[in-house]
Amino acid sequence: MQELWQALVQAVNLIVSLDPEVIEISLRSLYISAASILIAALFCIPMGALIHFHDFKGKRVVINVIQTFYSLPTVVVGLFVFLFISRSGPFGGLELLFTPAAIIIGQVILIMPVLTGMAIGALSGVDKAIRDTAISSGASSTQAMRAILFEARFAVVGALILGFGRAISEVGAALMLGGNIRGYTRVLTTAISLETQRGELVLSLALGIILIGIAMVVSVIMNILLQRY
Amino acid sequence: MKSLVVYRVHRVSITILIACLLLGTILAGCAPAATPPAATGQPSADNKSAQATAFPVIPGTPRFKIATTTSLYDTGLWNYLEPMFEKKANVKLDIVYAGTGAALEYGKRGDVDALVVHDPEAEAKFIADGYGINRRSFAFNHFLIAGPAGDPAGIKGLPPEQAFKKIYEAGKADPTKVKFISRGDNSGTHSKEKLIWQAAGLKYEDVQKSGPWYVEAGKGMGPCLLMASEQGAYILADISTFLAYKGKVNVAPLIEQGDLFLNVYDVMAINPEKVKTAKMLPTANTFINWLMSDDVQNTIATYGVAEYGRPLFNPLKGGGCTEPGCPKLADYTVPVK
Amino acid sequence: MAFLSTVDLEQRAGPAVLLNRVNLSVEKGEVFAVIGPTGAGKTTLLRLINLLDRPSAGDIYFDGEKITDPSRNAVHVRRRMAMVFQKPAVFNSTVYENVAYPLKVRGGHGKAARSGVYELLDTIGLGGYAKRKAKTLSGGEAQRVALARAVVTQPDLLLMDEPTANLDPGTVKMIEQLVMQFNRDRGLTVIMSTHDMQQAQRVAGRVGVLMKGELVQVGRPDDIFYSPGNAGIAGFVGMRNLLKGNVIRNESGIAVIDVNGREIEAVSDLRAGSAVEIYIRPEDVVLSMPAPAGSARNNLRCTIRSVAANGPLCTVVADCGFPLEALVTGRSAAEMGLIPGQEVYASFKAAAVRVLPSMPA
Repeated sequence: MQELWQALVQAVNLIVSLDPEVIEISLRSLYISAASILIAALFCIPMGALIHFHDFKGKRVVINVIQTFYSLPTVVVGLFVFLFISRSGPFGGLELLFTPAAIIIGQVILIMPVLTGMAIGALSGVDKAIRDTAISSGASSTQAMRAILFEARFAVVGALILGFGRAISEVGAALMLGGNIRGYTRVLTTAISLETQRGELVLSLALGIILIGIAMVVSVIMNILLQRY
Repeated sequence: MKSLVVYRVHRVSITILIACLLLGTILAGCAPAATPPAATGQPSADNKSAQATAFPVIPGTPRFKIATTTSLYDTGLWNYLEPMFEKKANVKLDIVYAGTGAALEYGKRGDVDALVVHDPEAEAKFIADGYGINRRSFAFNHFLIAGPAGDPAGIKGLPPEQAFKKIYEAGKADPTKVKFISRGDNSGTHSKEKLIWQAAGLKYEDVQKSGPWYVEAGKGMGPCLLMASEQGAYILADISTFLAYKGKVNVAPLIEQGDLFLNVYDVMAINPEKVKTAKMLPTANTFINWLMSDDVQNTIATYGVAEYGRPLFNPLKGGGCTEPGCPKLADYTVPVK
Repeated sequence: MAFLSTVDLEQRAGPAVLLNRVNLSVEKGEVFAVIGPTGAGKTTLLRLINLLDRPSAGDIYFDGEKITDPSRNAVHVRRRMAMVFQKPAVFNSTVYENVAYPLKVRGGHGKAARSGVYELLDTIGLGGYAKRKAKTLSGGEAQRVALARAVVTQPDLLLMDEPTANLDPGTVKMIEQLVMQFNRDRGLTVIMSTHDMQQAQRVAGRVGVLMKGELVQVGRPDDIFYSPGNAGIAGFVGMRNLLKGNVIRNESGIAVIDVNGREIEAVSDLRAGSAVEIYIRPEDVVLSMPAPAGSARNNLRCTIRSVAANGPLCTVVADCGFPLEALVTGRSAAEMGLIPGQEVYASFKAAAVRVLPSMPA
């Protein structure tokens, strides 16, 4: 139990002393997760809108499938992507394995179901009359879509924060696809995994505290931005 | 009305996805790295390797990837050697930490350009199959059997094969008193362990199935030592990792003498003729020669002395290895062309 | 040519027919009310005019253009109209942003536009509400915002779907006055649907009656009110006394009709022997005791069956050989001491009796 206290102390130390390796790993975690969520959002939010607004046979089935994939095991996704981007795989020529790009690809695939499903949920929460109001006010279809998304903004931002959280706390795929290479693809979660295996429990906890701290800051910032609007 | 909206959204989102994937890939290539990218105007060997990797989508730094066994990694030796090599050869050295089994797999797929392992049998097969070339040895150390200070199976001072036989019998009789932690991951250490079981006259499948006293951990050397310490179990470990973890674990060295304990570290390049996607042979050759060079050998000779009172690894240079099974002179002195 | 007209407009949903060959014609600058019971198709009709839905058949013409033409850009047409819905839907932002939304989608952000919004807020009585969150408004305030949002772009046509259906009388009055004001001052053409006949009478210049998807009668409010085209319309506009009878004889324009054994005199040309339906407005029936009052041709002795308060008025149902409903002021009812079982005289003029030939069964 005293490890927790020690960990807290060490976490503060690492941050305050601006330990370069920790800073580098943290920034990389932040960058990779942010990139993942942005890319995923640009696809998933319109996709969620598409599924929500369109009635088609099997719509319920599609939504169920999406929700099933909320529980995608990360290592499985990692293995799957690994086979594709390994140099002897179909996309080998792109030299993506063991690079940050590989981690981003894995994380995007992982958070796509969550983002899409939550986007559908967010849009379902918007009164159907809003669409009529927008359209009859003279909005074009894209303008109406924007109005509806804006109405759902709280739920959508919630979904983004959730997706970001899943991305930044992800280990299995990050290890498999990034290789945990020091100075290149080591992120907070893979570093924690390594240090735990090495028995450096206090350091691991400290890194964990920093990770949660980052997630909190991101969440707070996004909510502040929301309130402004 | 509705279908019009939706159709346009569909097209837009597919286009955006493709654009973003490409963009993200390119951007990620420029991710923050600890050291600056490789400069131009290098010695000829590296120019070739830089051009060889000019094809990929991500522009910039050529990266030389190696897979290394866990025992070398857990001792922190690579942390020390990595910046040395990067400065000398002016490439980015990416070290992927994997057991020998996984490392060989990465090698076969061409996902790494060189391997640093310590499993002579597996290496021989790898080379015979044509995957590996230019193998050299560059360091050695020994294994030891460690266990609880109380030594419940009474193996202290015995030859390794006999010790293993005793552990097997005692463990089967009372698994709560006597346990053994195995790497269980096809690593070099694991292969050595299997050899010792064989020398003890036991079939490995029998050992595996004989009871809960035999624990297959599936982890690296360091983590397995921690586990042995937690569980009060016996374990086969290399001396370097053992020393590096001495402060953190509660296991005592029980048997340190034995022919079977010799552990030689080898490096080899991936053969670009067999594995079409391995591209950095010139850099790999530079790497292999560099490991045999005076600089590195001297570093190895002194690494760990300050902290542990003795070096964690032994350099091969200067003929330090004199036991049966040591590599031939040519294996550790003749540079690769 | 009419400003807005529909030609044989039809709307189907599966096997159900929501609108059946509706031919509507609205002139520029008029306030036209579409009345009908719930489910008649009023909302369907307005949504089609606003191009929110596409009709199964038929066309709509607006200011000379056929707007149901698929090649026509719906957005441009809609930008000349505006619609207020029954349930006021406001965006989750400020009142200002709600009202300014139509300007935003047209790209109008200038200073002139902004001051226009503030002026409009003043006009609807919500000056100073600009920065309030729209979701915090009451139903009446929200509907006023919706109205302001509709007219902020100076549309040519304003569509309103039962806009005051769920509001308190004070707000209802305010909105009706605003609509009439906008119609007067800006020449705004208004098509409003309502199930409240009185509202149509207050606000509209012409009324169209929509029943079960068919436009059954069009005319001035009074025409509909006093001369409903059939029993269905009559019932809808508040004609409570719908009776069946036979013409016994007709003397110079006065028909004597047998209703359940009693005789009623009415102004009509129908010959003897015709089966007829007659309607009498409750407020045209005068009750008196102990003797009939006035010079009405019809005076019937009846027994009161029920007395029910109806706001300041009183609905009295009496058995006159047939059920007859009368509407009297509460005060009169009290003064006469009307209670069930009492005998009264019910009187009504011959001219107050509307006579129509019976509909074939």
